[in-house]
Amino acid sequence: MTGNHEPKTVGQIPQPSTTSTPFAALAFTRLVWVLFAASLAVLAGVVAADWRPAVAGVLAIDGLTAVMWVAATFFSGIVHSYSRRYMAGEAHAGRFFRNIFAFTLAVAVLVAADHVALFVAAWLAMGLLMAALIGHVRGWSQARAAGRLARRYFLLSSLSLTGGVALLWWETGATTISGIAAAVGATSGPVGLAAASALVVAALVQSALLPFHTWLLSSMTAPTPASALMHAGFVNAGGILLVRFAPAVVEYPAIMMAIVVLGATSALLGKLLKSVQPNVKRKLGCSTVGQMGFMILQTGLGFFAAAITHLVLHGFYKAYLFLSAGGQVEHTAPTGTSDRSVDFLDAVVVAVTAIGGGALFALLTGKGTSVDSGLLLVFFVVLTTMHAARDVLSHSDLPAGVRYVVVPLAAVPAIGLYGVVYNGITAAMAGLPVVSAPTALTPLHWVVTAVFLAAYVAIELDAVEHSTRLYVWLVNTAQPAPVTLLTATEEYNEY
Amino acid sequence: MSTEPAIRDCIERAAEPVGPAWPLHSFVTANPLHGFEDDPFHEAVQQANELFGGDGYPSAAVFRRAWESGAIDDQRLIDRLAAHGYEADPETLLDRMAAAEETDEPTARDRVDEVLTKWLATFLDQGQADWSLPNREAGFYAAFREVTPYDGAIPDSGVVADLPEEPVTAIKSVLADVPEGRWQDIFEMHLTALSGWTGLVKQRAAAGGGWQASAPITLTDYLAVRLALVDAFDAPLEPDTDGCDDDSAPLAELWLQAWEESYRAELVEAVADRSAVESDTDETRPGAQLVFCIDTRSEIIRRHVEAAGPYETHGYAGFFGVPMRHQGHDEDVTVDACPPIVDAQHRIDEEEIDCDAADAYGRRAGLLDTGEHLLKALKQNAATAYSFVENTGSAYGAALAARTLVPTAVHDTVAAVDEWVPDVHDYCEPTVDHDPSADTVLPRGLTHEQKVEYAANAFELMGIEEFGRLVVFAGHASQTANNPFDSSLDCGACAGNPGGPNARVLATICNDEAVQKSLRERGINVPDDTVFLAGEHNTTTDEVTLFDGDVPESHRADLEQLRADLATAQAGAAAERTESMDADTSAPVRETQRRAADWAETRPEWGLAGNAAFVIGPRSLTADLDLDGRAFLHSYDYSTDPDGEALEAILTGPMVVTQWINNQYYFATVDTAVYGSGSKITQNPVGNVGVVQGNGGDLLTGLPLQSLTVGADEPYHQPLRLSTVVHAPVEQVEEILADHDDLATLLDNGWLSLTVVDPTKDDAFHYEGELTWDAVSAETQQAVGAPAVAADD
Repeated sequence: MTGNHEPKTVGQIPQPSTTSTPFAALAFTRLVWVLFAASLAVLAGVVAADWRPAVAGVLAIDGLTAVMWVAATFFSGIVHSYSRRYMAGEAHAGRFFRNIFAFTLAVAVLVAADHVALFVAAWLAMGLLMAALIGHVRGWSQARAAGRLARRYFLLSSLSLTGGVALLWWETGATTISGIAAAVGATSGPVGLAAASALVVAALVQSALLPFHTWLLSSMTAPTPASALMHAGFVNAGGILLVRFAPAVVEYPAIMMAIVVLGATSALLGKLLKSVQPNVKRKLGCSTVGQMGFMILQTGLGFFAAAITHLVLHGFYKAYLFLSAGGQVEHTAPTGTSDRSVDFLDAVVVAVTAIGGGALFALLTGKGTSVDSGLLLVFFVVLTTMHAARDVLSHSDLPAGVRYVVVPLAAVPAIGLYGVVYNGITAAMAGLPVVSAPTALTPLHWVVTAVFLAAYVAIELDAVEHSTRLYVWLVNTAQPAPVTLLTATEEYNEY
Repeated sequence: MSTEPAIRDCIERAAEPVGPAWPLHSFVTANPLHGFEDDPFHEAVQQANELFGGDGYPSAAVFRRAWESGAIDDQRLIDRLAAHGYEADPETLLDRMAAAEETDEPTARDRVDEVLTKWLATFLDQGQADWSLPNREAGFYAAFREVTPYDGAIPDSGVVADLPEEPVTAIKSVLADVPEGRWQDIFEMHLTALSGWTGLVKQRAAAGGGWQASAPITLTDYLAVRLALVDAFDAPLEPDTDGCDDDSAPLAELWLQAWEESYRAELVEAVADRSAVESDTDETRPGAQLVFCIDTRSEIIRRHVEAAGPYETHGYAGFFGVPMRHQGHDEDVTVDACPPIVDAQHRIDEEEIDCDAADAYGRRAGLLDTGEHLLKALKQNAATAYSFVENTGSAYGAALAARTLVPTAVHDTVAAVDEWVPDVHDYCEPTVDHDPSADTVLPRGLTHEQKVEYAANAFELMGIEEFGRLVVFAGHASQTANNPFDSSLDCGACAGNPGGPNARVLATICNDEAVQKSLRERGINVPDDTVFLAGEHNTTTDEVTLFDGDVPESHRADLEQLRADLATAQAGAAAERTESMDADTSAPVRETQRRAADWAETRPEWGLAGNAAFVIGPRSLTADLDLDGRAFLHSYDYSTDPDGEALEAILTGPMVVTQWINNQYYFATVDTAVYGSGSKITQNPVGNVGVVQGNGGDLLTGLPLQSLTVGADEPYHQPLRLSTVVHAPVEQVEEILADHDDLATLLDNGWLSLTVVDPTKDDAFHYEGELTWDAVSAETQQAVGAPAVAADD
């Protein structure tokens, strides 16, 4: 049995030719990580040494630039490194890497641009590159159709942005973002209002808020890592735009209010859209619609640093979920688990934990410590902590002792960590014209709060699930464009 | 026809071409063209092309690569082409083949498919959506009837506007103006239009199960909805009748035959040579015997185990002959751990025997579980999801970096957590004893007679008469991360599940003294010092884990030695693996561990890619051959099977399953879009049942591109039909074929080939159809095989 000689081979399969991605992949990946290291250095300089390099009238590097450079190169580095293995053997891997690298550069330029033309050009370039990534598989007509659809949306947002910027230039005579910020206080006429509206529309399209969400929900023809980059990077552009042009927007309470309402609508509906989806990537897409809604809502409440924090943290979260989408096939049984009911002691623990969570959040971030729109943000934290506590308590497998300590044990460091990140980003953004501009509470804010609370209760009580009409509406609203669906499989012809 | 049962029967017949599709979490081997197996191969692929639009043969580029590398023998190719009247040289013929491969014209797409895929995906969802389709429990047709009034995407015209209560009534009203003689063709056209989803419906309706009970669907339901939509959108109701029947074997068939023949000749020659010497008179008792699955991946590890020490290895179907429905400890679902041609007959659960370890498991697993549950609950509620993301975002960032940048460390962490949570085989025992009080649909456990039967079967089929001190039954399982197709890499004989539980059941049976006593009465003498134990072969890293709970102190030293040798074997097998993947070969075991845990890895292992042969015979025929992981190996000794019963069981069972596996790999390679599932990079899992490409559409049920190819136009899986080689007297094989029409039909139609290496005649015989044989010795003299295809028209 133990032969001393080499066994004779029969029918050997030819040695595979190299499966790794092309040289460009390695080069771009290294380069992105170098850029990440450089961005960290810039961030350190900006925060510690108050360093503000600029090319007068063209580029201006400030705290927002540095934070976004770090975030964008990190996401891009992860996507590059991941794709080197994930895209191995892919026919057009070279083109893919060129596009994601170019996209990274476009983002870098966008957040550093001071000249409005440069800002618009970077914005357009981001759109065109992302559309190319959505249509990456060229031999597949549905992918090409999805790419074309996205490109039309991005051209629309670029057009709207161009219009808004042109109006501001006409109004203020300034061709730089810093110039507009300085001059804008004087404008409050209809031209300024129109400009602000145009900017908001551009932001809504790019961030895929309702009713501009179809491009995002039709974009799953993109290779998975490109989707990760899209959901962690591209959709954030709306938030960046509103933060950069904040001085031109905060002037108009009506616009701010509209942003709150539009953001809140997407935030609520995004989650509901997600709840009816059996399709993993579309579920993530719906979730992004909601998350971007919340981020835009934060800008509408005047918390610009909070919005930036949200989009960075959401980027981590969503990139992770996209990159791990392949793991989402589970063998399940139709019956749900039996939960234990919550008693009085539980209710007390839940209430104390929730209020404690909210208080900790307010203490750490300073949000909600005065009577303004910040209270809304505290309200969300209280609700989340309460929900978490309730869920753990209803989980029957755990011994009582463990149940009662798990929530504070998990919630305190989590909220604490958020506080650290938020304060860090706020500190980095110090020096921007508008970092935090809490608005006064209006009845509309109370309405938004009430709607959220009602939605929370309705979902908890499964009340919404009785409406077939709502169900069908949600399913149809989240449907991708028909031309992007592969119903006749022989049309998937790339290979 | 107008009666309801008649219509339902007609629908069943019309659905025959549709291959059943199992939910992806239990990837079950199936020939996508199973419904066509009664026809010759080349006609079957032609018909399937008309119905599904799929290619049936490798492309000219693939043939060219094989031809240029020498895998297609020049002389055999030229002879075969000449025998069919092709005089041009192969180069010209390849160009001609390439020119004929035009890209398919997109078929007329209609809105029907879009609306249908939308509602099918929501109806067939297995727990992915938080809010499922209302009224699912009433059935697909009824649920559709409920949503139609609200669905603005459906025109308010035709039958849809006022759907009758019964699906059959809807079908009748759509087909009112069509003569009944044409109904079956219409049904067939519509059942094959979204063949992925209908395949799933067909499987689910036939197999039942929990999800079918809570959301019942039938092909009639589906067809009624589809025809109602066809009516509403005014889409084409009847197929075009431009079927061109071409009976002659296409050029590609000849190239394929030449390729198969080139491979087979090499294999048969090697096996026949060893049969002639028949040297195995080695009487020393083996240190241990290890029984692996017949899976092609076992061929690699078996070679390395044998090289590592005085071990004997055997091949047996990886469910170890025990058709059981298994419920793992702490699982809510049961799985049928047996091949799809066998029905589960026993219910086996896990019973806690070590309470301390079980408690420790409960606490630790419960903690991990609560964490998961909490994450899910927070993400679900609209009002809490946003703060949740903010509070956990940083942790996700750290995980992103770790899993992408240091995947090997992730492997070690996962291994450490696994270590921390006690293993099920340490504190649980399979419930093998029959317990009538715990019977469900199936009896729980096995009676004494059944135990003896399963044990005896195993030894008789494998021809094992002598036992070592240790006998290991090694099931197998893969280890991959972020892979919707992970179950396609598990044991095919266990219906896409890990084989460890079955191995534990057989080992428990064989250690039973009463069973051993009965075995002795049947002439199977198990020595007193033989200990049976189960194990599991990790096919991604080639680690073989031994479940050693039952091993007495007296055998500890043997066990430790075996462990050490298995580690040596792992290193050798892993080195071979990494070479076949063009991976980093400097530290093969680490590299395979990285692949097992790396979320960015689309090719964790090659699975059964490359499979091309099935050798049924003693190990001595193949022991000193390197078959490169391309051969299924079933142990069999004709001298212990005088009446051919064991061989009959192997040919009707394992051979058919290997043919399915082989066809599944073949078709997914020749057309990834129609019979495979395309590239993983754009796949999108849906409803816990399968994947779609991109934004959605038809369900894709076959293997993904990355399981089969190295890169564009470079298949790793060589698309060849299975060459079966049997070591037995040719008369005995012929008798079995004569008794089993279905087997003869499969062979006559060219779905696989059969060569018998006859030890009693010192020659090999190739099956030529219609129960006729060609002596290989004569064939090599002429150098040309008779054209097999011509024989069947």
